[in-house]
Amino acid sequence: MAAPQMSSSSDLNPKAAALLLAPLTIVMLLVFVYPLLTTAWTSIHPDTGLSLAAYVELFHSTLFLKTLRTTFEISISGTLVSLLIGFPVAMHLTVQPPRRRTGYLILVMLPFWTSILVKSFALTVVFGNQGLVNQFLGLVSGGTLNIPMMFNRTGVIIGMINFLLPFMILSILGSLLAQDAMLIRAAETMGAGSFRIFWRIILPLSMPGVVAGVLINMTLSIGMYITPALLGGRQDMMVANLVDFYTRQTLDWTAASATAMVLFAISACLVAMLGRIRGAQGLSGAAA
Amino acid sequence: MTGAPSFGIDRRGVSVVAWSCYLFLLLPSLIVIPISFGNPGEIQFPPRQFSLALYRQFFSDPAWWGSLLESLGVALATTIASLCLAVPAAYALSRSRLAGRALLRGLFMMPMLVPVVVLGLGLYLQYSDWGLLDTSAGLVLAHVTLAVPFIMVSVMSGLAHADVALETVALIMGASRLRIFFRVVLPQLSSAIAVGALFAFLTSLDEVVVAYFVTGTSTMTLPVKMYSAIRWELSPVIAAVSTLLTVVSLSIALGIIALQRPTEANS
Amino acid sequence: MLNARSQLSPAASTMVELAGVSKNYGPVNALLPVDLTIAKGEFVTLLGPSGSGKSTLLNLIAGMITPSAGRIVIDGRDATAMPTNKRGLGMVFQNYALMPHMTVFENIAFPLQVRHMSRAEIRERVEKVLDLIQLRHVADRRPKALSGGQQQRISLARCIVYNPALILMDEPLGALDKNLREQMQLEIKRLHAELGITMLYVTHDQDEALTMSDRIVLMNSGRIEQQGPPEQLYFEPTTVFAAQFIGSSNILVGDVMDQAGGTAIRTSVGTFPVRTAAHDFAAGQRAALLVRPENLRLVDEGTALPNIAGQIEDSIVMGGVIRHFVRCADKSVIIVQELNQPGLPRPQRGSLVRAGWSTAHGRLLPPAPSAEGTQG
Repeated sequence: MAAPQMSSSSDLNPKAAALLLAPLTIVMLLVFVYPLLTTAWTSIHPDTGLSLAAYVELFHSTLFLKTLRTTFEISISGTLVSLLIGFPVAMHLTVQPPRRRTGYLILVMLPFWTSILVKSFALTVVFGNQGLVNQFLGLVSGGTLNIPMMFNRTGVIIGMINFLLPFMILSILGSLLAQDAMLIRAAETMGAGSFRIFWRIILPLSMPGVVAGVLINMTLSIGMYITPALLGGRQDMMVANLVDFYTRQTLDWTAASATAMVLFAISACLVAMLGRIRGAQGLSGAAA
Repeated sequence: MTGAPSFGIDRRGVSVVAWSCYLFLLLPSLIVIPISFGNPGEIQFPPRQFSLALYRQFFSDPAWWGSLLESLGVALATTIASLCLAVPAAYALSRSRLAGRALLRGLFMMPMLVPVVVLGLGLYLQYSDWGLLDTSAGLVLAHVTLAVPFIMVSVMSGLAHADVALETVALIMGASRLRIFFRVVLPQLSSAIAVGALFAFLTSLDEVVVAYFVTGTSTMTLPVKMYSAIRWELSPVIAAVSTLLTVVSLSIALGIIALQRPTEANS
Repeated sequence: MLNARSQLSPAASTMVELAGVSKNYGPVNALLPVDLTIAKGEFVTLLGPSGSGKSTLLNLIAGMITPSAGRIVIDGRDATAMPTNKRGLGMVFQNYALMPHMTVFENIAFPLQVRHMSRAEIRERVEKVLDLIQLRHVADRRPKALSGGQQQRISLARCIVYNPALILMDEPLGALDKNLREQMQLEIKRLHAELGITMLYVTHDQDEALTMSDRIVLMNSGRIEQQGPPEQLYFEPTTVFAAQFIGSSNILVGDVMDQAGGTAIRTSVGTFPVRTAAHDFAAGQRAALLVRPENLRLVDEGTALPNIAGQIEDSIVMGGVIRHFVRCADKSVIIVQELNQPGLPRPQRGSLVRAGWSTAHGRLLPPAPSAEGTQG
């Protein structure tokens, strides 16, 4: 009974708090915020002084527009694929008893910890032209069947979903677990068939998790660098690779900055949307 | 919803998809392990002979094990630095009523939300001005900003679970804030700090994009070297490097999971 | 049990003094201006329902909150603006607040380390206090391994060990079961008698307050309602709230009138003489008559005692006493409590009876702010 009043009174005084927060704040401002501002600054300071010329040039550049289009194509298709695969996996996890579910979740989360370089390399081993899958296909088809799945669009998508799936699965799982089993049972008693239950109850109620998962995947995939670089072909350059191209190849730092800023803006919009959804979920008490 | 309806879709179909997915997620990381013990001449699965040649190749090449040392050093420095910065900050955020707390917390979490390449470029441009390119210190600073969000999440969660009454009673008994922090608060945070530290270490160890922008020949980290190797050389020694990295990553991951279990059991 | 009451002049023997201390949160008054003195070695209980301001008062003395107005003096020093850790206090919480990562010994040693005592002296003191509470054998265990009662004793020992000016206790026994609670009450009383440390105890349980205190400070809606030794509060309450909060009561509201040979009160169930009053009442004033159930008896028709007629609604046997619920003419119910003896004729439900008391046991109180004719 005493505790609630106590906790509000044993606060750290503002001066001490400021002292404890200062070092980290300074570091974050210097090493994170300031470089971002520098990038923004550079993007609006081409040789001719303060102007938006770099952006104008960018949006007239076929290279940029193509790269932007490729980025969205890859992101959207990758997100869709991970949604199609992730939803069944989330359903599978939902019906597991809690302890087994934890075990499976560890399986799902473990790849999250491994280096993306290792994963990319390993994927080329598995899906490459001389890789496991094609070896197997060659074996069963007498040497005729060989599907090029690496160093092209397919390779990028494969690498992407390998990275994105855990996020999508966890997001949808949250929504599914929060659903009231009673709803399902009530529907069954009323005579609804399995498909109708899925279509009219489970799917709509899982929407918050699906939308969140989609937004998270889009946000993560838009900024991808390693996967397209290692697993894609020349036609699969994404925005992040373009930034690198401008920085190291053409040494056009203004263009690089402008490109980075565009990427930042798109990402910020997605994060804002995600924040809005999360907030709405919190208010309605639905799955988060 | 255990043992509940079949979702209107064939149960077995769902299982097939699910298991394929688990396999797909897990297999790649594991497959490199047997490859690394194979013939040093080619990347092969299944390996035709057992040999440690690739590992010997790795450890005898100063470019490789040098980059490993650099990575370990940077990761260690990053962990220590970000703990020293973030733990007191987390304490201040959770135990004070300072105005602007939410804003600061947002600032500390931001690195998670920004595409890494944007940060990489910004640091590249900024470090050129400051002469921090190709320095370990510069890389450590950069990795600190990436590690801080993880430590924040873990430690703030630990602080939320810590008993404020203990700090109150220590105050009443005459203890100074400093003593309270070290003898009452930190011991309660030991597993949260450990989890945060492991996250920080792993994040720095695996980090490639920012390192790629900010390091040079003398400060090359293992991931950067691996990236170049995969991109341009594709030599089989990469399998050995991958195995080493995977073993380290998985050990750390299991450590984190083990540390997080007791708290889940309590709450 | 003897009380360690000092005979010195007030100033030298005062441990805590509050002058005009109040606390408000915006428009909400948690505590209205209060004056309070606690003598050295006294055991004072702040008693009251939740929201009465007792916890606020405790927290103000502890320094966890700063007062909106007024002055707080602790052990001769102005502590109004003093930070908590400089006030030299001890505190016992309901949830014990023992450090889970330290052993019992380390927990008790903590405040001594804060005071930079030598290892040897710490060991000596800790062991002495562990002997005092008879828990020497658990010194190396963690708090989690101990029972609630043991943890609370250790929490108390941790306060005692560094001899603070004042020990604050905020409903410390709330988490314990009834038997354990009563045991602990006596234990705390024993320690207080032996050590003479000033103690300020907060509770909403009147029995607890009556058992343990040298003085009870009864609080109501942010104000001190009445304060004094337990017996005084029980036998001489000055308000209806006080009468109802401590002990059971029957309250009859009416108008004061002069009668031959003294004062009387005219109520809806009769006019009765009164001999004791909380203060002077003028004729015509509204007042409340307090008669405690244990002072009422079922009396015969022709009795000379003041009495009220009514019907037995229920008679409940509670071991050594029997309680009769009597419905009066004005529909109110009064409680009569008699000693239960085997063979005593039990009145039937619905039978007409008279509840009487000797005039000396009736007490006149100012009327309660709202309700009429209540019993508690």
